[in-house]
Amino acid sequence: MNRTAVTPFWRMASVGLVAFSCLVLVYLVLPTLVVIPLSFSSDTFLRFPPSGFSTRWYESFAASQDYQLAIINSVKIGVPSAMVATVFGVMASLAVVRGAVPFRRTLAALIIAPLILPQIVLAIGLFPLMAKAGIVGTYPGIVLAHAVVTMPLVFITVSAALRNYAPTYELAAMTLGAGPWKTFFYVTFPMIRPGVIVGFIFAFAFSFDELILAMFLTSPTTRTVPRLLWEQLNFQMTPVIAAATVVLLGATLALLALAAIAGTHARRRAASNGGTAA
Amino acid sequence: MVGEAREAHASLERHAETQTGVKPWSPSRGSLFLLAAPLLLLALFFLFPLIWVFAQSFSSPRGLADTYVRIATDPALRYPLFYTFQTAAIVTFCALVLSYPVAFLISRAQGRWLAIGMVLVLVPFWTSAVIRSYAWLVLLQRRGVVNEALLALGFIDRPLRLANTDIGTHIAMAQIMLPFMILPLLSAMRGIDPSVMRAAAILGANPFRQFVSVYLPLSMPGVGAGCVLVFISTLGFYITPALLGSSSPMIAVAIEQQVSRLLDWPQASALASVLLVLTCLLFMLYERLNRRLAGAGEAR
Repeated sequence: MNRTAVTPFWRMASVGLVAFSCLVLVYLVLPTLVVIPLSFSSDTFLRFPPSGFSTRWYESFAASQDYQLAIINSVKIGVPSAMVATVFGVMASLAVVRGAVPFRRTLAALIIAPLILPQIVLAIGLFPLMAKAGIVGTYPGIVLAHAVVTMPLVFITVSAALRNYAPTYELAAMTLGAGPWKTFFYVTFPMIRPGVIVGFIFAFAFSFDELILAMFLTSPTTRTVPRLLWEQLNFQMTPVIAAATVVLLGATLALLALAAIAGTHARRRAASNGGTAA
Repeated sequence: MVGEAREAHASLERHAETQTGVKPWSPSRGSLFLLAAPLLLLALFFLFPLIWVFAQSFSSPRGLADTYVRIATDPALRYPLFYTFQTAAIVTFCALVLSYPVAFLISRAQGRWLAIGMVLVLVPFWTSAVIRSYAWLVLLQRRGVVNEALLALGFIDRPLRLANTDIGTHIAMAQIMLPFMILPLLSAMRGIDPSVMRAAAILGANPFRQFVSVYLPLSMPGVGAGCVLVFISTLGFYITPALLGSSSPMIAVAIEQQVSRLLDWPQASALASVLLVLTCLLFMLYERLNRRLAGAGEAR
């Protein structure tokens, strides 16, 4: 920037800064990557570096009834809870961002709160109540619990999408005689669709990863993937966990890439609308 | 902009009303109806359980406030609280020191480097905490990657004990919390105009002085938001401390143990209520900091 001020000392300091940051990034990413070589290990226990290459753990992962059931359960729980979270999250953000509601900020904070609160507190509150209602260990119980915790994610992404454009579009539709449903389906929804999709993906990914509520509210027949992994981790430590982890990691990253594509699409759209919206 | 549009709409509405005699629909009227369903879900499955936890904490057969008296007097219950706070402070500090330079570089990066930086931050962010804790267990074991590497390089003669220690747990928790610190820092740093640093340089400040007197104060809202976010999340941390273990349980682990091993729901509820109140207070602080951050962004 300012050439006169950059003495060799400050140049060295900036090299040090970059080096330090690279080390931090290695620290950030390494733990995720170290699982990959382990999953191809031929050893029966966790050893690094592995003594040989084999795909036997992937084979036993693919053959495992437990993992199959857990993956099906996680999808059966993740999809409906993300759908509930998406519908309710969109409703809440429409009301809070576009509507004239009292205590707007308090409401927004209340809607985001379930994401921030440690899940263990909610879990020990939900367990006795759901036990009384007889829905502990059933799909509806865990679906509703995950819906409450993931609704903030949809609320955040959709609120951001709504704040991205001026309400004049909706006002124009409404003054031209469109009712609330028509306005929503022909004007609002097409504008916020990428935000809704990203919110849905985040909600699903969160539900797919969530351990503590699943530990309290699922039974062996509705057990999710994180709970199965957790039980296996506390019971036995074979590289089959590493293989399962790599498969799940791949699935999570694919979802993340999807969300990123939807987000880029939204930004491009916002950019092309920028001239008229602003 | 929004206010202007609302005003314009109100005048259009009045105009339409005088023309047709029918009030056109407006978003402000439907909003309470829209809120009803989400609020019902929140009331039933969020607020009610929390009230239940609070009520249950007073239901101990040993006396009304016995659970809280025990938290105050029994070291086995009091220490997890103290330890959790200590851990949250250490993890927050480490995460801040490690994140700040990274966030600074990413905020200055452009094009491909920006994309690489964001991917490196977001991939761990979206990797399950169970998976990352497992990875840390693999890394920190007696014959784990870290020990093997240190042995091979000749830094140590025999394997260090890292798993099941405070140090190992802190290392793992700080790594899991890094993205929660980097992302708020980034959003604050992206809003800092680079020309203010140039102005400081022209006025004769050396890079250190530029940083301390100009850049650091401007990035403080991000520092505050990131610290509160990491602190809150660490207070409720369960997975990593439960798996890696340490000398004393974190509060979330203690709550789970009260429930699953001792079946003492009132005592677990009392611990959870303490955690709930602390989290609420910190969340309010976070909201205030966040609002200031948003306010600073709008002012520009």
